[in-house]
Amino acid sequence: MNSFVNKIISALAIASTSVFASVDPEMDGMDVVSRDDGTFLVGSPTFYFDRPNGAGGIHSESELWTPRKLHYRLLFNRMSVLPSWNPIETPSIWMKTGNELGDMIYQDFLTDAADRPDNRTPILEGGFRTPLFHGFWATARMFQDDHYCNFRGYRVAKTKESFSLFGENWPLFSSGYGGLGYTNDFINASVLAGMEYIWLFTETSRWIPVLYKPRVEARADFWNFSTTLVYENAEYRDDSKKEQGERHEVNGSIVYSCGEKCRQGMLQLSAGLAFRFLDDDGTVYTGLKNDRVLWPFLEMRFKPMSQLKFDVMFGVNDRDWLVQDSIEYQVPALEKMNITVGAKNISGTRLNPIADTYEFFDGDTVSLTADGRMNLLQGYVRFEDTLSTFLSFGLQGSFWAEHGAETFDVEKFVDDDGFTARHGDVGRINSWIKGVTGEFWLNLWYKEMFKFTALTGFERIDGKQKRFEVNPAEFFVAFNADWLIKRSFRISHSIRYRSDAEWNLRSRDPLVVKGDWFWDVTFEQRFPKYGISLAGTLIQVLGDEVIETPNGGYSRFRFVCTAKKAF
Amino acid sequence: MKKLITILAISLASLLHAEDSFAFMNDSLAVKEDVSFSHFAVFLEGGEIYPMGDLQDAVKNTLYGGVGVRYTYWDNVDGIVMFQYAYFKPRPKIGYDGVHQFMGRVGADWKWSVIQPVVLGAGFTCSWTRADAENFDWMDRGGSLADNETEFGWYARISLPVFKFKEYSAGFHLMWERLWTLPKRSDMLSAGVTFERSLW
Repeated sequence: MNSFVNKIISALAIASTSVFASVDPEMDGMDVVSRDDGTFLVGSPTFYFDRPNGAGGIHSESELWTPRKLHYRLLFNRMSVLPSWNPIETPSIWMKTGNELGDMIYQDFLTDAADRPDNRTPILEGGFRTPLFHGFWATARMFQDDHYCNFRGYRVAKTKESFSLFGENWPLFSSGYGGLGYTNDFINASVLAGMEYIWLFTETSRWIPVLYKPRVEARADFWNFSTTLVYENAEYRDDSKKEQGERHEVNGSIVYSCGEKCRQGMLQLSAGLAFRFLDDDGTVYTGLKNDRVLWPFLEMRFKPMSQLKFDVMFGVNDRDWLVQDSIEYQVPALEKMNITVGAKNISGTRLNPIADTYEFFDGDTVSLTADGRMNLLQGYVRFEDTLSTFLSFGLQGSFWAEHGAETFDVEKFVDDDGFTARHGDVGRINSWIKGVTGEFWLNLWYKEMFKFTALTGFERIDGKQKRFEVNPAEFFVAFNADWLIKRSFRISHSIRYRSDAEWNLRSRDPLVVKGDWFWDVTFEQRFPKYGISLAGTLIQVLGDEVIETPNGGYSRFRFVCTAKKAF
Repeated sequence: MKKLITILAISLASLLHAEDSFAFMNDSLAVKEDVSFSHFAVFLEGGEIYPMGDLQDAVKNTLYGGVGVRYTYWDNVDGIVMFQYAYFKPRPKIGYDGVHQFMGRVGADWKWSVIQPVVLGAGFTCSWTRADAENFDWMDRGGSLADNETEFGWYARISLPVFKFKEYSAGFHLMWERLWTLPKRSDMLSAGVTFERSLW
């Protein structure tokens, strides 16, 4: 089989292994809810543990800073797609609504008030982007997800006044923006302004309300440069303690990316600078050393031959350094078997070097940085092949070892308005943690009509010190299928099982998230000639409605429908 | 082989789940084969709704009425959008007369040639309710409906358009629907008549 076919098969196989089901996420950045390739525990739209099986190390994906997350949002110390301020690319108008299922309606007539189920809460989104007018376009978007919203009393106590753009559920985030853009062959630029309510989940396990009023984000991409500049006036408050504070922040990035010609060469270089400047006033519950961070970084790909490539990302400043590198080699002697071997390394003083460095909690200053450094090494072997015109399969195995993994040294737990919070500092596990992983996947497809993926994996983690924040699930199995009938009606579904996972350090007793089956499904009517899409998605159809993170909300059976029209 | 796999890779990536959610507009064959909205009709309908199961102890049968549109989706499948209204009276003693219920439905009708003129349909439904009351205590029975309550569900429907004259048609329909309520699901059966006018 020649190398071109290998590449195509690799793309398909990688897509099948690393990409989740085609079920529509309830909102941009909520893909984790329906992911089936690892441990994904969701406490709210603004806080989740997301770790693909075999990722290596004990951290979750959102804890790690990488250059591809420059347009992600920094939610305390995690990088998150949600709430996304990426302008929708296609000129269009769209709306979305849905609800957790389980309002009573007429069942109320048959139910005593004491037996009533918790109130179920909705999701709302609406927006538009205009077509170009002499290169100019306008956009606006309002989006708010009231799911995972059951601990309302806790939030009402902290912000007496309603804390969202719509409704009385005190949702975990509510965002709205509008703005203008200009696009031509040379530049793509935009300025968006709006306001946003958000609850940040911190290292002490508290929910902190922040009102960005205003938040302004400007972007300009030209030639091989990409620049982002953000201004945030963030208001902090805790009405139960009569505390208030403000943070004025300017952050952003400038990046030079390897251009088209450069990407064809043997050596590809990109470089950039991410930055944050703060000015805190009053009671702000977190802090950044020197009120600023400058984070220059360099990316390099060296590809001396088609079968061999090296990738390196290196960032350094006066406080931290972080290296992420990998090498991958397609074994020529075994080319017919499509065997790839690779290794990766992550080393550094901090997983997220642009995040705040302190948290303040009842007179205690919690250090969010730890002395020393972490070092993660991983080696893997992947085999993949196509057996016929409708069947392919693959296997991947890896071994990893991590020293100095970031963790939290708990000094004591305290009660926090019905929740459990913790005092202590971010620390390290200064001994080796080791893991062995395996995955198997099988793809079946028929023309453009049907695609089926069966995927299973396991991971065994061991070490002298088991102070991991989360013990990931040890195995999973998933069956995903997509039908595209008459090229216009799509049914996508994901049914999967994840074994037990366990949170260890955010409550006095470990929180075991029991293994369970999950099923999500999307139905979509497409009107290709008119650019219209009508979709309905059912999420968490199977599975008990449980809390998946300490101090988090219930993940409930919910329905979301979306209507979109392209101009 | 190379061509086949290339086509598969590209089409699977672009059609089944693409980053651009409007990528399907670039599928020229899909655009060419799209017959949607080649026919379009509006209809009025009305009838009676019967609560089923436990719900019979909660509310009485009631009349409903509504409007809708029907459009071609595929040659033998129509898309349906319906809006209906009903006023439900409680069966137990509740401190208000009744509840306003607005229903929105999106679904499809399958005109299976084997069983013509019977048409089979199914889809999603959304019911918005509000009690005919003001300042009602939330803790009293029925109190949750004093504020807006909304619930989704699904429906299955059989239509029998037996009378046809030029662009007009009329017939009967029978519909079963389930709302995903708690503590139990809520089932209802509707039976009524439909008057339809084809616009093109």
